[in-house]
Amino acid sequence: MGNFGALLDGFATAAQPEYLLYAFIGVTLGTLVGVLPGIGPAMTVALLLPLTLSLEPTASLIIFAGIYYGGMYGGSTTSILLNTPGESASIITAVEGNKMARAGRGAAALATAAIGSFVAGTIATVLLTLLAPSIAELAVKLGPADYVALMVVAFTTVAALLGSSMSRGLASLALGLFVGLIGTDTLTGQARFTFGSATLGDGIDVVIVVVGVFAIGEAFYVASRLRHGPVHVVPVGGRWNTADFWKRSWKPWLRGTAIGFPIGTIPAGGADVSTFLSYAAEKKLSKRPEEFGKGAIEGVAGPEAANNAAAAGVLVPLLTLGLPTSATAAIIIAAFQSYGINPGPMLFQGENSALVWALIASLYIGNVMLLVLNLPLVKIWVKVLQIPRPYLYAGILLFGALGTYAVNFIVDDLVILLIIGVIGFFMRRHGYPIAPAVVGLILGPMAEEQLRRTLQISQGDLGALVASPFAIIAYGLLLLVVVGTLVLRFRGNRVASTSEAADSNS
Amino acid sequence: MDTPPPDGPGAAKKIGEYVFGVLVVALGIFTIVDTGTISVRNSANALGPRAFPYAVGALLVATGVAVLIATVRGRFGEEEESEDVDANVKTDWLTVLKLVVFLVAHILLLDVLGWMIAAAILFAGAAWSLGARPWWKPAVVGVVLAVVVQIAFGAGLGLSLPAGILEGVPLIDG
Repeated sequence: MGNFGALLDGFATAAQPEYLLYAFIGVTLGTLVGVLPGIGPAMTVALLLPLTLSLEPTASLIIFAGIYYGGMYGGSTTSILLNTPGESASIITAVEGNKMARAGRGAAALATAAIGSFVAGTIATVLLTLLAPSIAELAVKLGPADYVALMVVAFTTVAALLGSSMSRGLASLALGLFVGLIGTDTLTGQARFTFGSATLGDGIDVVIVVVGVFAIGEAFYVASRLRHGPVHVVPVGGRWNTADFWKRSWKPWLRGTAIGFPIGTIPAGGADVSTFLSYAAEKKLSKRPEEFGKGAIEGVAGPEAANNAAAAGVLVPLLTLGLPTSATAAIIIAAFQSYGINPGPMLFQGENSALVWALIASLYIGNVMLLVLNLPLVKIWVKVLQIPRPYLYAGILLFGALGTYAVNFIVDDLVILLIIGVIGFFMRRHGYPIAPAVVGLILGPMAEEQLRRTLQISQGDLGALVASPFAIIAYGLLLLVVVGTLVLRFRGNRVASTSEAADSNS
Repeated sequence: MDTPPPDGPGAAKKIGEYVFGVLVVALGIFTIVDTGTISVRNSANALGPRAFPYAVGALLVATGVAVLIATVRGRFGEEEESEDVDANVKTDWLTVLKLVVFLVAHILLLDVLGWMIAAAILFAGAAWSLGARPWWKPAVVGVVLAVVVQIAFGAGLGLSLPAGILEGVPLIDG
C-alpha cells in the first residue's frame, strides 16, 4: 500500500491553503478559456508558462492540471449554449446539447454535462492512480530503442490518425519537427538552420511557437471570416434535478467513462474518437433512438463523460512514459522540462514523486471545484460567452504578444511570433491540423536524442531499433491501431452522416 | 480521407492550396540542401547531426508531394471550424492585413514608446479592425487594460515591462 500512502501525502500537500488557491486559479482559468471560443487549454498553458516560472514546480503544475481539466468542462457549456448551427457539428455534444437548450431544456443539458464530467473525471483519476505506478515500474526497464518506438507511435497516431487528411497531418508533423531542429545540436554543439542568427542559436522557444500557431494564428483566421453581429446565446431554461434526469443519465456516464479512459490511455485518437464512439453506443442502446438528433439527454451525458475520462487517460502515458498524445499534453511536458524534470517512469521513484502525487491529488480536488464552478455558477460563464468578439480577439492578440515577450524580453521573439502566426493562419485555412506540429516540435528533439543514443550503443546497427520485445510489440500494436482506426473512421463517417440526416429531417 | 466540401472551394483558395503544398516541398528541399552544410567533425556518434535533419527534409518533401497529389485529385483541405467562424462569408483579407499591421506597429513601438502605449495601440487597433465601434470604445478599453497589466507586472510579478517615454513615472516604470 505504498502508493496509497504516497497519495495521502499528496493530498496533504495539495490540501494546503496555498495549493488549494492555485488549484482554484487553475480550474477557474481553465473553465474560462474552455468557455471562450478561440482559446483552448493548450494555448493557456503556453501563455502562463513564462509567468509561472517564478512559482515553484508543484504550484505551477497544479495550476496547469486545473487548466487541463477545467478546459474540458468549459467547452461543453459553449457547445450547448452557443447558437451556431452546423458549425460545431464536429463536437458531438453540440448536436444534442444545443437542441436541448433550444427546446428549453438547457439546464438539464448543462447539468448532465457537468455531473457526467465530474463522475467520469473522478473515476478516471482513480484508474490513473491505480495504473500509473505499476506502468511506471514496468517502464523503468525501457531502453532508448523502446523510447524511439514509443515516439514513432505517438508521431503516427497524432499526425496520421487524428485529422481528416493523413497527408496534411504528416506535413504538419514535419513542419513541427523542422522548427524543433532549429538551434544548436545538443550532442555535437553544431548550429543547425540558424541562418547565422544569434536569436535562433538557442532554438525557438516552445512558448513562442505554441502562442504563434494557437493564439495569433487563430485570431487571424477568425478575423478572415468573422461571424458579425451580436452573439446569440441560448437562454438556460427548465429544471434539471428530476428523477427522470438521473434515471436517463447515470448509465451513459458510466458507459462513457468505460469508453473514454482506455481510448485516452492508448494514443489512438484522443478525446474526439471517444465521444463519437460513446454517442454511437448510446444511440444503439437507447430505447428512444428517435430522440437522437432532436435533443436526447443520453447523447450529451455519454460523450461528455467519455471526453473527460479520455482527458484523464491521456495523463497515463504522459506521466509514466513522458509521451504526449495531444497538443496540451505536449505543452505540459514542456512545462515539466522548464523545471528540469523529465516526465517518465523515474517520476514515480526519485525526489519528484512527491510532486507527482500532489499533482494527482489536486486532480481529485480540482474535479470537485469544477463541479461547483459549473453547476451552480454556470450563469457567470454565460455572461463570459457574450463578450463582443472584436474585444475577445484583440485581447487574445494582446496577451499572446505579452506572453511571448515575457519569455526573454526580446523584441525579436515577437517577429518570430508574427511569422509563426501567419503560418498558423494558412495551416487552418488549408486544413493542416495544429496538434501534430506542436507534438513534433516538442517530441522531435527527444526522439532524435534517443535514436542517436540507440545507434551509439549498437555502433550503428539499425537492427537495435527492433531488438527488444517491447519495441516489436509497440510497432505491432501501431500497425493494429492504424488498421483499427481506419475501420472506426469509416464507421464514424457513417455515424456523422446519419446524424446529419436526422438534422435535416427535424 | 480528404472529403471535398459540397460547393468546392473558390479559385483563390485552390491556388493557396497548391502554394502551401509547394512551399512544404520547397522547405523540404532547402532542409536537405542546408543539412549538407552542417559540419560534422570526427563525431564519435554513429549518427551525426545530419541524419535526423535529412529525415525531416525527406518527410517534408514526401508529405508536400502527397498533399499536392491529393489536391490535384480534387481533395482539398477541410478548413478548420470554430464557433466564431462563418463558413459562408468570403475571406476578409483586409481585416487580416490590418491585424498584421497593428502587430508590426506594436513590435516597432515597443522599445520606443514603451510596452504600455504599444499595447494600448495594439488592442485598440485590433478591436477596431475587427469591428468594434465607435472608435473610442476600444481605445478606452485598450488604455485601461494596458495600464492595469503594466502595473500588475511590475508590482505584482516583479517583471518590469519597458516604460519607454514614461520612464521615471511611478508604478509604470517598475
